[in-house]
Amino acid sequence: MKRRNLTTELSIFFVKLLFSVFMFMPIIWIISGSFKTLNEFTTTYRIIPQFLTLENYEYIFWKSNFLAYVRNTVLLMSLTTIGTLLSSSLVAYPLARINFPGKNMIFGLIIATLMVPEIALIIPKYMLFGEIGWLDSLLPMIIPAWFAHPYNVFLFRQFFRTIPKELDEAASLDGCSRFRAFFSVIAPLAKPIYLTIAVLSSVSWWNELTQPVFYLNSDKWRTLTIATMTSYMYTSGNAFVINWPSIMAISTIMILPPMVLYMSASQFFTEGFKTSGIKG
Amino acid sequence: MLKLRHKTKDTLTAYLFVLPWVIGFLLFTILPIIFMVRTSFTDRKLNGLENFVAWENYIRIFNSKTFRTSFTSTLIFTFGSVIISGTWALTLALLLNIKQKYNRVFQFFYFVPAVIPSIALAYSFRTIFGKDSGLLNGLLENFGLPHEVNWLYDKNTVHFAVFLVVLFTYSTGQMMMIFRNGLNEVPNELYESASIDGASFINNFISITLPMISPIILFNIVMSVIGALNGSFALLFPLVTENGNPDGMTQVLSLLIYKEAFSNMRVGYASALSMILFLLSAVIGIMVFSISKKTVYYEV
Repeated sequence: MKRRNLTTELSIFFVKLLFSVFMFMPIIWIISGSFKTLNEFTTTYRIIPQFLTLENYEYIFWKSNFLAYVRNTVLLMSLTTIGTLLSSSLVAYPLARINFPGKNMIFGLIIATLMVPEIALIIPKYMLFGEIGWLDSLLPMIIPAWFAHPYNVFLFRQFFRTIPKELDEAASLDGCSRFRAFFSVIAPLAKPIYLTIAVLSSVSWWNELTQPVFYLNSDKWRTLTIATMTSYMYTSGNAFVINWPSIMAISTIMILPPMVLYMSASQFFTEGFKTSGIKG
Repeated sequence: MLKLRHKTKDTLTAYLFVLPWVIGFLLFTILPIIFMVRTSFTDRKLNGLENFVAWENYIRIFNSKTFRTSFTSTLIFTFGSVIISGTWALTLALLLNIKQKYNRVFQFFYFVPAVIPSIALAYSFRTIFGKDSGLLNGLLENFGLPHEVNWLYDKNTVHFAVFLVVLFTYSTGQMMMIFRNGLNEVPNELYESASIDGASFINNFISITLPMISPIILFNIVMSVIGALNGSFALLFPLVTENGNPDGMTQVLSLLIYKEAFSNMRVGYASALSMILFLLSAVIGIMVFSISKKTVYYEV
């Protein structure tokens, strides 16, 4: 590689810096907005608030069911993630290891369902969940997660293929059953991919908006995302008020956990985007 | 004989392992598809009352101007997102691939918008694009430029505004990370031998980088098409509301489906629309794969 001269080096650095400011701007805007009064928010665009106020945070904590929203979100996030880790890894194992009739067809179908956008099937699912009385609860989101997610199956399969076959074959010959081999040999070795999917799945369920919009109705089971959309607008006299600073305050609280998680576990995010094996 | 028995047992075990997926596939994919097809031939209302109406929903759809606008919006949004976020993701990945100090910090800033909830992003931008106290107009005012633009409600600017937000979505961040990993896998010797020949950066990019990462480009295109069809709702619903303002220009199919089912309470009609979205994604999927077979360079 040729050495770059100082000017090139510095201008590349400057471009990187500029892009960083650009990409981080919406987050700065959210945080700054959360400390503004409603009046200041709707009249100026200053980044640094003129009158720093905590009233928006107080409003969220005392005037809305904030703690219930957090509880619901955490419940949804943990139960779906545990479900998908267990089921997706079990399904991925034989696809990576055992030769059985129908294997290619099953793998093909899994990849094909990956192409079906969730939103295309949400109306029939809404009706079906309505028939069995699951609407307005977290069940339509939690239960399906226990039946394997195609993309997670794909990631698990790719990882399992990198584990030397001899390891679990030795366990099988020992008289260990496949299940024992899976739980005692494969699963412990696959810890990185479990953590990766745990991280990605948690973040995606913490952020999930579409399904709660369709399946949840009353305030009782609202998650943070849907509460942000519905709980901070009201009519005052004849005017319809959107309490933007409160929305920014709840957004600030909502964006912190994923950000902290990324800062402390960025290697798991990177691991989830490894492409080795896409070709195969 | 023993080997054969071992094999049958293994096959049974394998089926047992994949059973959760099979059950889930039947209950949460096949059953909804059947139910969707069936309901699309009824005038089912939100309260569950329904009559069989044969092809009426589909006839109404194809005669509807709203649907045609929505279909076009969906195509614009999907392919626009793929091209714009793909290019942006590749640019960021190429930048990060230039070894310098603080790359990890830069990567944090580039990727972090992708991990925050789309609702936070959408509401942030709804106010950044605000006419009177929005950040964008404020900046324009500072530079003495026209600053009375109602970005999300003006026909001339709404596409710009929406595609700008797309740069911050999970789909873009995910593509950037995948490109980064892919670029790292391109063997350095290829560039070294090219630099002896005196090749420029652009030449290198076209003749080495692009062909080497073409499988990854394909993978990213597939992922971002799904991402755009799927994520359109979570991004656009809070950004431009179910009506797809202005004039339904951004009312992609997912928003129209929601509106028909929950505001107009016509679930049968919404099912027929869902069928079209379902078929559209199937067609796009098949299209992407068949194009890729011709153009993607595979290592043998």
